[in-house]
Amino acid sequence: MEQINELKYLKVFQKVTKLISMVLDHQQVMDTIVRELPGLLDIDAATIRLLDPSTNTFVMGAAQGLSMEYLSRSHIDTDETMAMINSGYPVAKTDVDQDTHFSDQVLVSQEGIKSVLTLPILFQDSVIGILRLLTRRNRIFTSEEISFSMALAEQVGIAISNGRMFQEMENQIDFMKEVQEISALVNSTLDLDSVLNTIVERLPRSMSCKACTIRLLRPQTNHLELVASHGISEEYIRRGEIEGERNIAVALTGAPVSIFDVSHDERVLYKENMRKEGIKSLLAVPLKVKREVIGIIRILSDVHHCFTSSEINFAVTIAEIGGTAIQNARTYQKITLLFNQVEESERFVAGVLNCIRPQLLVIDKDRHLVLANRVFLAAMGKEEQEILGADYHSLWPGHDCPVEHCPVEQVLATGQTATHEHQLIKEDGMHWVERTASPMLDDTGQVEYVIEVIRDITAKRQLELEHLERVKLQGVVELAGTVAHEINSPLFAALGTAQLLEEEMKSEELANDVQTIIRNLKNIGELTKKMTAMTGFESRDYVGKTKIVALR
Amino acid sequence: MAEILALDDVQDATVLIGKILTKKGHNVHTFTEEDEAIAYAKANKVDLAILDIKLKKMSGIEVLELLKASTPEMRAIMLTGYPTVETAREAISLGADEYCVKPIDRDELEEKVEKVLKGKDKKSSINV
Repeated sequence: MEQINELKYLKVFQKVTKLISMVLDHQQVMDTIVRELPGLLDIDAATIRLLDPSTNTFVMGAAQGLSMEYLSRSHIDTDETMAMINSGYPVAKTDVDQDTHFSDQVLVSQEGIKSVLTLPILFQDSVIGILRLLTRRNRIFTSEEISFSMALAEQVGIAISNGRMFQEMENQIDFMKEVQEISALVNSTLDLDSVLNTIVERLPRSMSCKACTIRLLRPQTNHLELVASHGISEEYIRRGEIEGERNIAVALTGAPVSIFDVSHDERVLYKENMRKEGIKSLLAVPLKVKREVIGIIRILSDVHHCFTSSEINFAVTIAEIGGTAIQNARTYQKITLLFNQVEESERFVAGVLNCIRPQLLVIDKDRHLVLANRVFLAAMGKEEQEILGADYHSLWPGHDCPVEHCPVEQVLATGQTATHEHQLIKEDGMHWVERTASPMLDDTGQVEYVIEVIRDITAKRQLELEHLERVKLQGVVELAGTVAHEINSPLFAALGTAQLLEEEMKSEELANDVQTIIRNLKNIGELTKKMTAMTGFESRDYVGKTKIVALR
Repeated sequence: MAEILALDDVQDATVLIGKILTKKGHNVHTFTEEDEAIAYAKANKVDLAILDIKLKKMSGIEVLELLKASTPEMRAIMLTGYPTVETAREAISLGADEYCVKPIDRDELEEKVEKVLKGKDKKSSINV
């Protein structure tokens, strides 16, 4: 009998070994094992759960012969059983549907489970999972069966680990390629949106996941803002703030967070929204620039998925590459903004310089023209590119302003503002020009540039001349009025007295003489009348250089 | 016969006015100092004041204002060797009856004095 059993076990063992040697993907290994074991071991169902090191819980890897409701129960088995398994020992139970100590006993009864053999899946003395063999009739697992199942579980552990390692190696190669590609893509642009969209589109595709989101911390408020998403609905996006979720809080400290089952995990708040969206697992990794966390990337899976260390490393690597690219794009945005502001300022200053009426030019300390406004260019009849960089003195071939009077030279020599006025002969006649040069000093107080403003002051000069003439006329008019006034009173006395005298004259000859006096006094009166009424005068040549005035 | 006050900074001018108008039968009181003329007008009856505009300390316009303040019914003829629109406007506004420009003819002076004393055309015939 014993030999028959051993032969049977050997056959099962050979078959299982053959099965698991044919596949390398650990998921396929698990699927194959749970599918084949019921037939080989005469059981009704089998499950394999794998240890999730991040939560130290066992998550479903593969199952056969059981309902989803049963598989979704909150506890796998009693605490005592789990403690035994974690210690590396198998636990065989019968009449489990009668075990009132187990919290999910109702589910067990509904499922009709009577006997369960729970086996630790060991790899290199560490529990990496659980293999459970279940029957719907009472079955006492013999010590041989348990020993055989332990060996089988160990074989499964080796197969899973090998599959995992192979998968990991494959993944790592794939991830390396993906890292290269994504890195090349995000570094090929400085456009922030392109960087963000590349990451959210490529990352879930590389990891065979449903969706991806990127949230960045706003520097002003330190709040997370969703800046890019792929594979999720608008309704899901609008579900609310997620800063209160523990997975986010942990990721913001710089550590990645992997959640196998978002529907039962306390680190997730919006479980119902995730259920509607079909999200089963998530991986949250920090977006870092050097050591500073600038945001969060979340990768969302629509199947239950235990993110492996290579997947997590891949996501972390992409997040680091992305963080640098985002920072570069942000810096570029800032530089572009500053550059635009500088350009705008330059346009504004150029506009102002071109709108002012005087000619304006800037000369460097080597006497080269570095800036000129439109009025100056028009006056010179030249284009900007023709004269920028030209020697300052070569601009004035006519030597309108002698070098010794040149205000630019004076500024370069003294560092003080200088002004010089001179006349200039133009096609339309003589013009007066005022040239004012001012220094622009460097940090050491030396003249770095000279700003020269050239003003045509002909009109101003003419006004000054006219004003001078007016003042002169006013003086002459006032003088004439004053003189006339001073003359008029004695003239009045003389004329009146002469008229009285004429009346009393007996001698005709003397009377004629008095009349001559009266006539001449009246002539003087006419003259003073002209003087008081004068509004202008004309200079007339008299003798030699002497001039006399003709009253108007 | 009228009581006439003549004020001019040139004494010969006041003497001449005195001679011309005395011959016409008026009592003429001549002054070259403003204070004296104002004091006289306050203490005595004056029918007509002949005032030069340019005086020693004050202007004839200011003297006219003071005299009119104490004797509003007094007539006034302003004389000036330097007529301006401003002085003419101010003199009229203060109640001057005539505004004559030196050198005024003897006949013209006699005529203006008679006309003013008769009170005819008090506010018109301003001869600037």
